[in-house]
Amino acid sequence: MKKTFARIAAVLMAAPLVLTAACGSSDLSSSSKITIVGQDFTEGNIMTALYGDLLKDAGYKTQIKNFTARSVYIKPMEKNQVQISADYLSSMTDELNHEANGADAPEVATPDTAQTLAVLTKLANKVGLTPLTPAPAQDANAYAVTKKFAQANNLTTLSDLGKLGQPIKLAAAPDCATRQSCKLGLKSVYNINITAVQPLGFDSPQGKSALVKGEVQLAQVATTDATLDAQGLVILTDDQKLQNAENLVPIVNSAWLKKNAKAATALNKLSAVLTTADLTAMIDKVDSQRDEVSTVASDYLKSKGLI
Amino acid sequence: MVPAVADNCLTRNEWICGKYYSTRASDLASAVGQHVHIVVVSVLLGFVIAFPLALLARRYRKLELMVVGITTAIYTIPSLALFSLLVPISGLGLSINTVIVGLALYSLTVLVRNMLDGLRAVPADVKESAIGMGYSSTRMLFRVELPLALPAIMAGLRVATVSAVALTTVGAIVGYGGLGTLLINGNNTEFKAQVLATSVLCVLLAVILDVLLVGTQRLLTPWTSKAVAR
Amino acid sequence: MNGILDWFKDSAHWHGSSGVPTLLAQHTLLTFAAVLIAIAIGLPVAVWLGHLRRGGTLAVNISNVGRAIPIVALLSVLSLGYVGTANFGPFGRAGLATLITLALFALPPIITNAYTGVFEVDRDTVEAARGMGMSEREILTKVELPLAVPLIVSGIRLAVVQVWATATIAALVAGPGLGQLITEGYATYNQPEVLSGAIIVGAVALLLEGTMAFLQRVVDPLARAARS
Repeated sequence: MKKTFARIAAVLMAAPLVLTAACGSSDLSSSSKITIVGQDFTEGNIMTALYGDLLKDAGYKTQIKNFTARSVYIKPMEKNQVQISADYLSSMTDELNHEANGADAPEVATPDTAQTLAVLTKLANKVGLTPLTPAPAQDANAYAVTKKFAQANNLTTLSDLGKLGQPIKLAAAPDCATRQSCKLGLKSVYNINITAVQPLGFDSPQGKSALVKGEVQLAQVATTDATLDAQGLVILTDDQKLQNAENLVPIVNSAWLKKNAKAATALNKLSAVLTTADLTAMIDKVDSQRDEVSTVASDYLKSKGLI
Repeated sequence: MVPAVADNCLTRNEWICGKYYSTRASDLASAVGQHVHIVVVSVLLGFVIAFPLALLARRYRKLELMVVGITTAIYTIPSLALFSLLVPISGLGLSINTVIVGLALYSLTVLVRNMLDGLRAVPADVKESAIGMGYSSTRMLFRVELPLALPAIMAGLRVATVSAVALTTVGAIVGYGGLGTLLINGNNTEFKAQVLATSVLCVLLAVILDVLLVGTQRLLTPWTSKAVAR
Repeated sequence: MNGILDWFKDSAHWHGSSGVPTLLAQHTLLTFAAVLIAIAIGLPVAVWLGHLRRGGTLAVNISNVGRAIPIVALLSVLSLGYVGTANFGPFGRAGLATLITLALFALPPIITNAYTGVFEVDRDTVEAARGMGMSEREILTKVELPLAVPLIVSGIRLAVVQVWATATIAALVAGPGLGQLITEGYATYNQPEVLSGAIIVGAVALLLEGTMAFLQRVVDPLARAARS
């Protein structure tokens, strides 16, 4: 009996090792592959897949990781454990600004792409990062209402909603209450009477569902959300240019970039052609037709002759 | 150029969809692989840490309060916060080890408690007769106490393992969530087939691991005909 | 560290509808309501199965495997699905979905411990009671239950602490409780707020744990007998 005990214990101890070996090591820092990161939602997944395919075509070994929050990968990028992120112009600018100057630092991103890129370049260079060329494609914050509500009150712009003067409940990202681009700006620039903010997330199914059910009258959505129409929702135009420029831009570790100029060339080729409409169409394929991200991404690159 | 939207269970967004499984088989397989890796390694790591802690706590009563207190305190840290706090602190960075260490820490509560309970429940007369037979304390631990405490320890392992299967999904926030990465993705895009498939796979995985542990326990303790989970 | 101290010192965090006292009260209500629901559902079933001495292993195994259901996903599926997100009394937005999720989460330790507690009552004792002419009902209420109380309370104690720590997920569907601090802090790059939230949740959990451990000792008839 004692022997059985020892033998089984030994097998037990060995089994996980075998399993672990079978699964393979997937440590980010210990590989010769380059690591591309992005955020974990459909658009982020598509962008990292596009970057990955381009770099694979340029002869790199790549590995892709998508995270639910940007803050997770900033430090590893600075340390060159991660080489490239698929990012957004103003969000990245704000993130680096918060890192450098604290959570209460005044916002520095603006609706102007060139101006924000200049600010971002300065902030990024300080921590060893470099933004490449931003694409014309943007995924800005937008605010949607139900089509019914828009028709009944003759609304097409956010200014219209402000003039309506009704108390409005808003579903938005949890940071909305303190953001100029969200609650603060909607009140001060558009004079919209926001009475409550439900922190249901940016362009989330929960936020849109709350809007459809009438729990809120306004919801924060993405300009590239292809499902709005089918859900009976419509975006109100940001006629006073409250929203910051959110062009898609590759951010690269500076030290790595110095030795890998050809990677930058490859990525910049995509930035030269990628439009908001292209991106929206790809997202629609994934979210509505449930095509796979990898297929959608490589089909797009082939159609543009990039790979 | 624009293809007509195909009408199938994927585009209709049905909960059960065969086409989902046939098109995503390899994604699911690698997610399950990562999930198993994280669960098994983290529970083992937790076990290796919990064992000496339980022995220390048993020997020194003052330490017991501390050990049980600290492991409980770790357990109460919300998992969302724990994983994101571990990334910068531990120097683990964005590796799978961050998730493994986090889950190992969580498993300590159950493991330490059950080890203590199990060791305490060894009847005093059994220990006395072992001492009478001239057993050293080490020999007594490995030959008498541990085998007798095994049902309680295995029960702890079962709870820790099954809980780890669920908690691994939270690892998605640092990029290593096994099935959780697909689950959260499906959730964010209201992809019903994916949400259901990954949730069911999580439960299946837990059942399989649980059955394996029960089987192991039967093999290790043939004298207990019927094992009761605690 | 200083950031956390400052956060605790700031009186704005201690007043009003999103102040710590209010959130603490909501969190407590949510936790105890969920555990009470789980007790109401799980305890009678587990105790009865324990008394019958069968079917329990299955119940225990099912509830044990239930721990593997990812609760965040369950909450989200429930709130997007049939249960919905309507305000549910003091439990706030999606209150019903949150309560169901947390109650399910509390079931495994309650069922497992109650079943094991009753099941493990010494058979000779039970047979002796039967020989004295006690009815099955009397055996259950006068012999088995009192002897199983320590394990039952231990299960409830585990459930309370687990649900307390997990109730933070209510914030993910804009529900009540201390999770708001963590979720909001995370979204606004406010690390001190995240940590303060986690510290408050953790500290109260330890307090609950301590209180329940004390309670457990008070209701343990064997320990009581040993003391007197």
